[in-house]
Amino acid sequence: MICEDIRRDLEPYVDRELGPESEAALRQHLRTCPSCRRVVADRENLGRLVRSTPYHPAPQRLRAHVSARVHRSGIAWRVLLPWAAAAMLAISVGGGIAVVRSTRGAQEPGAERMMDAVVDGHVRSLMADHLFDVQSTDQHTVKPWFLGRLDYAPPVTDLAALGYPLVGGRLEYLSGRPVAALVYQRHKHAINVFVWPAGTDRATTIAVQSVRGFHVRHWNRDGMSFWAVSELNDAELTDFAYALQQR
Amino acid sequence: MPALGFEEIVLPHLDAAFNYARWLTGNDADAEDVVQDACVRAMRFFASLRHDEARAWLFTIVRNTWYSRIAKRRRARDGAGLDGLDAEPRDEGPDPEAILLQRRTVDRVREALEQLPVEFREVIVLREIEGLSYKEIASVAQVPIGTVMSRLARGRDRLSSVLKRSAPVMERVQ
Repeated sequence: MICEDIRRDLEPYVDRELGPESEAALRQHLRTCPSCRRVVADRENLGRLVRSTPYHPAPQRLRAHVSARVHRSGIAWRVLLPWAAAAMLAISVGGGIAVVRSTRGAQEPGAERMMDAVVDGHVRSLMADHLFDVQSTDQHTVKPWFLGRLDYAPPVTDLAALGYPLVGGRLEYLSGRPVAALVYQRHKHAINVFVWPAGTDRATTIAVQSVRGFHVRHWNRDGMSFWAVSELNDAELTDFAYALQQR
Repeated sequence: MPALGFEEIVLPHLDAAFNYARWLTGNDADAEDVVQDACVRAMRFFASLRHDEARAWLFTIVRNTWYSRIAKRRRARDGAGLDGLDAEPRDEGPDPEAILLQRRTVDRVREALEQLPVEFREVIVLREIEGLSYKEIASVAQVPIGTVMSRLARGRDRLSSVLKRSAPVMERVQ
């Protein structure tokens, strides 16, 4: 026996795709309805089971082959044309892509350059397979590791209880200075959080950006500048950023 | 607009493209061919790419490459038997239930997922494993968001009933 609102909103609820009002209403319902709670728990467990299956990374041979083609084609360093040929793509690959938003409006001077730098940092960490200098799920191990390596102490918080476990940290070199990179995990994805002194005590709200298929969240708090980068979907990364900002 | 190339923008998503292709095709060899072809296409249309859409864009091209390949194969065989749009039923041997029971949970889940029809399988993979939003999945699969949602619902229902059949209690992982 499951109730009507759950029947309608089960998927968007477990996928964090419900609007805040519907989500609050549904949460309220779940508090009083054990059978719907069970349905939600089953769905969440199913998700965990699916994510426990082995990931298939690209074989080295394929990567080498594609890289070689890129170099032969001379496309590797070509300056991008601002999407003038979108119509061509739509015809040639069948459906085209619904372009949903334009998100590169920079809110602070230098923010756009900074955003490119943090995305580069994220990509480097994935491609070089170098996510950690210190691998630990214990914030009391990760935090002291930065002592003596940076001239500031980055706040380190574990969010395992919310489904975003801390998995480690490393030093990253961004825009000419060493910064702390904290690594969290969600599904099969890493979230890199870069932290350095903001140079101002003013707190900001979370800015939402996307670059090159990666999502970025940026905020300032307690004199620190935070940049969270991941290929994780928008909704969950926002959820993560809010959770971290609240700590 | 920064002077970033294919290598910086598209290649970081190669693992994800391969994983998605592997789930679409069901084997390494096809997945490798599909991703390779897709990358060649992607290079050709690179100029039309918006940076912030790189991941979904590459998925879309991988998907289209796979579907045109299936269509070609089907024409070659003159429609005889091969229906790549549905998961091919497998011959499980004399007692599939008993065999399934002995397997580790992960293998059971993988198998159950592999046997789902591809339109359900792909939305589940894109959502649960690749973490795409409904909007992104809709653009990759070229269907409305409502369809993404209903495919997820039906796909998950099927998956969980297969799993419940193969083991009386679904074990918790993680």
